[in-house]
Amino acid sequence: MAKEIKISLPLYKIGYAVFFVVILSLIRGVTATYEIGIALETPMALLAAAFCADTYTQEIASKRSEIHRLYPIKKRKRSLISRMFVQEIFLFLLTAAGYGLFFAFQKPMGYTAGETEQYFVFLFAAAATLLFWGMLSNTLAMLFRNMWFGIGGSLILWLITNSTLGEHLFGPWNLFSYTFRNVENGDLTWMRGKIISICFSILMIGILPNIIKKRG
Amino acid sequence: MSVKIEDLTVTFRNGVTAVNHVNLNITNGIYGLLGENGAGKTTLMRVLTTVLKPASGKVSLDGILYQEGNYEKIQRKIGYLPQEIDLYSSLTVRECLEYMGDLSGIDKEICRKRIDYYLEKTSLAAHQKKKMKQLSGGMKRRAGLVQALLNEPDFLIIDEPTTGLDPEERIHIRNLLVDFSENRTVLFSTHVVEDLATTCSRLAVMKKGSFLYAGSVRELIEKANGHTWLCSVADERQVRELEKQYPITSKQYLDGTLQVKLLSESKPPIGCTQTSTSLEDAYIYLMNQNQ
Repeated sequence: MAKEIKISLPLYKIGYAVFFVVILSLIRGVTATYEIGIALETPMALLAAAFCADTYTQEIASKRSEIHRLYPIKKRKRSLISRMFVQEIFLFLLTAAGYGLFFAFQKPMGYTAGETEQYFVFLFAAAATLLFWGMLSNTLAMLFRNMWFGIGGSLILWLITNSTLGEHLFGPWNLFSYTFRNVENGDLTWMRGKIISICFSILMIGILPNIIKKRG
Repeated sequence: MSVKIEDLTVTFRNGVTAVNHVNLNITNGIYGLLGENGAGKTTLMRVLTTVLKPASGKVSLDGILYQEGNYEKIQRKIGYLPQEIDLYSSLTVRECLEYMGDLSGIDKEICRKRIDYYLEKTSLAAHQKKKMKQLSGGMKRRAGLVQALLNEPDFLIIDEPTTGLDPEERIHIRNLLVDFSENRTVLFSTHVVEDLATTCSRLAVMKKGSFLYAGSVRELIEKANGHTWLCSVADERQVRELEKQYPITSKQYLDGTLQVKLLSESKPPIGCTQTSTSLEDAYIYLMNQNQ
């Protein structure tokens, strides 16, 4: 796992991701604490898509994929999932820390006893979001053997689902259901969208060996 | 271990035929692959590593036919060093080799011993703690070769393994490959004719996707024997005149006189004496015969 950490988390990636979250927490205004999660969810999805797009395509760009083809599929799948896991954990911790940065920089109002609960609920939503967008980006990049297809394809879906059109089309089943629901009123219908995200992520993990075999 | 290629053709999507109806039998030992840039050597190697699928023809490795269902079995027997490869820059040499060894399914302890052995053989032991990005081009090439040797493949395919190496290192690598090729098959592609002259007994010469020659190194040299001439010339102007008529394989000032080595079917009408033919001369002779 130590080697996967070094491969998946080079300094430049850590740098731009941290920079992104710090800048976001500085410029994205929030007035109430419940808005922090909403302010973080969609930008973090975009970051996850950009961050994970080269999980495998770095092997293609460096021509290592020609050697990887000789390795057993099981080993290649395990290595790829380990890299995804490392990146997702990093993004998750960054998101969790980003929530705190909003507190530090924006000083939102409405701190109540339910804050901790609200924070953990957001972390669950964020985990599902990061998992889905990271997986989607990597899957598209692998299918087209180009990280820009991963980022571009994810961006198109991001624009659709992060819009009133997406909200109108999918409602609580929208991938960004957390952003569009009234979470501050205890509405839990957003969970449907997250369940959809998790299901699609599992599906993408499931088809990974086939993609490695055909397009790796 | 034997590799059999029958009537193999590789055509790219843009319609370019990179390998055109070639036949070849490769047995144990080092088999050289020589040819100009774009001759189809790398394409042929990529087919043999299962990276590329041929348009037509048959390839088999020890009787196992190259087809979808057999790829896993074939891939386990192969080690490959591509022409261009950028190993994990954020890992140290040892970490990188351990990682790739683990991916190829080698037992950790065996892998560790093999890494020690090959790092020593390639003079990389002293650099094993350096990050890949800190290595020189020649060192990276050697590390690439070690990764190809790690699973001790029955069939080793190496594309330009000696690029960027100094003369001493080149000799080390050549000797390592000769030792490794005992009871195994090594397909060795290079532009450095001297590497093949000192390592292989058999080779194939490719041009525009076809084989101009496939056979023993000795026979190829014999083809050009009697056609290699060493001539003393007066000045550069005379060399330029000769260049128009004959392929010149070397030119050097020796004790104040300009000597050129050229290839000609008959004795050139200047002061020339017949001289020994090197593999390089024979290669140029063959290429010029087929222009």
